[in-house]
Amino acid sequence: MPPRKRFVTTKVEVEGREEIHVVELPDVEPTPWAEDAALQIVGQRVLRADALEKVTGRARYTADLHRPAMLYAAFLRAPVASGHVTRLDPAAALATFGVRGVLLAADVVGIVHDGAPLFDSNIHYAGQPLAAICADTPELARYASTLIALGIDETPHAVTTAAALAPNAPKVRPKGNTPRHMPRVIQRGDADAGLREADVTIIREYRTPCALHTAMEPHGAAAEFIGDDLTVWESTQGIFMVRGDVARAFHLPLNRVRVMKDYMGGGFGAKNNAGAHTYTAVALAKKLGRPVRCIVDREGEQMDTGNRPATEQRVTIGAKRDGTLTAITLEATVGMGFYGWQAGPGKIYHELYRCPSVRTSETFVYLNTGAMSSFRAPGHVEGAFGLECAMDALARELGMDPLELRRRNYADHDQEKSRRYSAKHLDRCYDEGAKRFEWARRRDEAAASRAAGGRLRRGVGMASQIWGAGGGPPAYATVRVNPDGTIDVLTGSQDLGTGSRTIFAQIAAESLGARLADVRTVLGDTERTPYTGNSWGSITTASVGPAVRVAALQAHEKLLEAAAELMEVDVGRLSASQSVVRVADDERTMTFAQIGEQLGEVMIMGQGSRGANPPDTAIAAFAAQFAEVEVDLETGRVRVLRITSAHDSGRIINPTLAESQLEGGIIMGLGYALFEERILDERLGLHLNPNSHDYKIPTIGDVPEIDGFFVDSSDVVANHTGARGVAEAPIIPTAPAIANAVADALQVEVREIPLTPWRVLRAVHR
Amino acid sequence: MRLTINGDEHELVLQGHETLLAVLRDRLQLTGTKLGCARGECGACTVLLDGRPAYSCLTLAAGCAEQSITTVEGLASGEALHPLQRAFIEQDALQCGYCTPGQLMAAAALLAHDTDPSIDDVHRAMSGNLCRCGTYPKIVRAVQAAAAVMRQEANASA
Repeated sequence: MPPRKRFVTTKVEVEGREEIHVVELPDVEPTPWAEDAALQIVGQRVLRADALEKVTGRARYTADLHRPAMLYAAFLRAPVASGHVTRLDPAAALATFGVRGVLLAADVVGIVHDGAPLFDSNIHYAGQPLAAICADTPELARYASTLIALGIDETPHAVTTAAALAPNAPKVRPKGNTPRHMPRVIQRGDADAGLREADVTIIREYRTPCALHTAMEPHGAAAEFIGDDLTVWESTQGIFMVRGDVARAFHLPLNRVRVMKDYMGGGFGAKNNAGAHTYTAVALAKKLGRPVRCIVDREGEQMDTGNRPATEQRVTIGAKRDGTLTAITLEATVGMGFYGWQAGPGKIYHELYRCPSVRTSETFVYLNTGAMSSFRAPGHVEGAFGLECAMDALARELGMDPLELRRRNYADHDQEKSRRYSAKHLDRCYDEGAKRFEWARRRDEAAASRAAGGRLRRGVGMASQIWGAGGGPPAYATVRVNPDGTIDVLTGSQDLGTGSRTIFAQIAAESLGARLADVRTVLGDTERTPYTGNSWGSITTASVGPAVRVAALQAHEKLLEAAAELMEVDVGRLSASQSVVRVADDERTMTFAQIGEQLGEVMIMGQGSRGANPPDTAIAAFAAQFAEVEVDLETGRVRVLRITSAHDSGRIINPTLAESQLEGGIIMGLGYALFEERILDERLGLHLNPNSHDYKIPTIGDVPEIDGFFVDSSDVVANHTGARGVAEAPIIPTAPAIANAVADALQVEVREIPLTPWRVLRAVHR
Repeated sequence: MRLTINGDEHELVLQGHETLLAVLRDRLQLTGTKLGCARGECGACTVLLDGRPAYSCLTLAAGCAEQSITTVEGLASGEALHPLQRAFIEQDALQCGYCTPGQLMAAAALLAHDTDPSIDDVHRAMSGNLCRCGTYPKIVRAVQAAAAVMRQEANASA
């Protein structure tokens, strides 16, 4: 047999983008955990591993970090959307008692953040950092930042796509107000011919707002040099990405930069890279020779740490009288802000339904506003709103049940790339979701209640989704069995609150035959743990889980071999469960602790990596969501009564934690549908609601009855654990499901979110 | 000035502008109480002042000399967790955990005067505590479960 190749090339989908990776194949390719695999710990509702630390206040977040002699930094931010700094004099700030230093553009030459030099004297958006002040307390630093004398020559700005695309618009970026090659057109088939074949054609325009991540813990970092060694504590979804960013910015070797993140207060896509706060903490620590913590304040967090960009979507759908789609087209405009990547609404239009001809045309636009960033299912959340509302409009036009229309256009393979799905049970999501929601009954009852008239109108709506959630390499893990039988799982991943700490311990305990209580997961430290990528794109479970399993299996093999030597039996007769090794047809047993004790200081250690993805295969999470709402015709207030969400994410490692994520995604989607909107003053170019009072996220009182569940089935084509991702899927269909329910209640279409009372009233009285 | 925090007295020289939150977190390193917005909008900094919930980010420390201050670090009795803490763990009423201390303190204040809150009561009492992970459904369950345990414990000791 020829030697097996160690490195191969594979494809990994992250946030809708397909990346090509060279991957190191693991030493063992485990037998997949098939549907009928007899698993003891994986699939169980075990409690969150770090819950005790979180309920006692002992969990330390980056914002909680104290180091001896630590100083605190605060930003001075641009008060206008466009202009040039003519004067920046920190003398009065520096003369204040307790102020220890300032960081100016001249101190950070060469460091680029969000497409511009850090502390750029050219102002590109309101809220852009211009300098930082460092003082003995955070409050003092913040106060002193207001003492910096600032002179500005203001120049005209463009904060809306219309303003930026107008003739003679102010130049947001020197090379123009759009990236090159706009619009981005992606097509299959012949959409114009498809529309000509249609019996029914609908044309609609939809608008989605700019939404803000609003993590409870703002972005922040602390930095400390000890000799040439730099340690950075960062609230981040990617410790290794931050390490790379910091090393590059400060010309440090990677092995002199350690990035740590123990606990973090939410990320949702905004905390992937090093940011202005990171570079500021490091540069000040270097300049002043003391540890420095820089935590962004709430206003800065809302203005300048990323957002889900607003979109305008013009959708055309053609269909035969029986509902069969003949063509879909989309023309979309996306305002990225000053910087960002092209996360467009178009992709889901190509994927969700069977349709021979699809053409999407997206124009991305630079604006004098804070840069966009990934935000929980970037692009798909926006696109699902347009597509799924348009599908309902089509269903109304055809006089068809919207659920039936979706079933009739079921896509059984990935049409964009002509390849199979590893598994797809969206049909079961439709069936079981409709059943648990009682779709037919509630639909009839809502119609009956509307016929009765009255001020409160009920309606039901639904939507579905697809999201690439297969994960992939590179991801590594180490599993160590200590002499007392306890086990460490080390992997350079992050737990954002998703529960990854818990599920890695479950996978390791299952594979090793260990007691779950003996297994501890160590994450979030570039020095202690092997490489794993960012926790983004719903990839962590399916990327890191298999690596953990391989590492644990290798440790399991070694442990059994050691036990065979100690017990003088053939290794083939040994098995392990609940941290006890048993001999087949024999009474003898040894606990892991006894093996450890007899071995002494021998280290049983397993190494694992994530293997390649299957070729020519799309791997995705699917869901169907159903909503019931009540709309007050007099006040315009929408109350969501109930949401049922049926999900296909392959094998579920821990149903409790996965359901928590479903609820979280749905509630975030509810905020997007009803309340959340960054408000800009077009004339002043300023962000008017950069706080938690005027930018409204859902409160506990807004939450409906939620029934989120999984049509659990192992996806052994995707990877050997059978699991796919969960995190982003639930937010994607929520806004269209709610908007479709509101349209049902009002019998009037709604085409713009958030559905604030005045928008609802405007729709009613249109 | 003396502040009584979780039953311990602390002697501090306070400036008039110092918030209770800053004193707890940066001077006493009681970092269980979280900073989310610093303007009384998110509830992450909720503590109890004589048993009543207060946003410590809007409370001046110098005004708290006469009051008993309780933070999340003082919720458990030694190693024995408060029923709310146990219920939050058992119901998975937390994800990232950053808002959790504030949620627990708001819930503790509610249960101190309402031993059997309805869902609406929980909603009203806790609508000033934001959670971006969306743990709300499980928070409601946890608060009601803890209330049931506390009623049982009260009956058992009565």
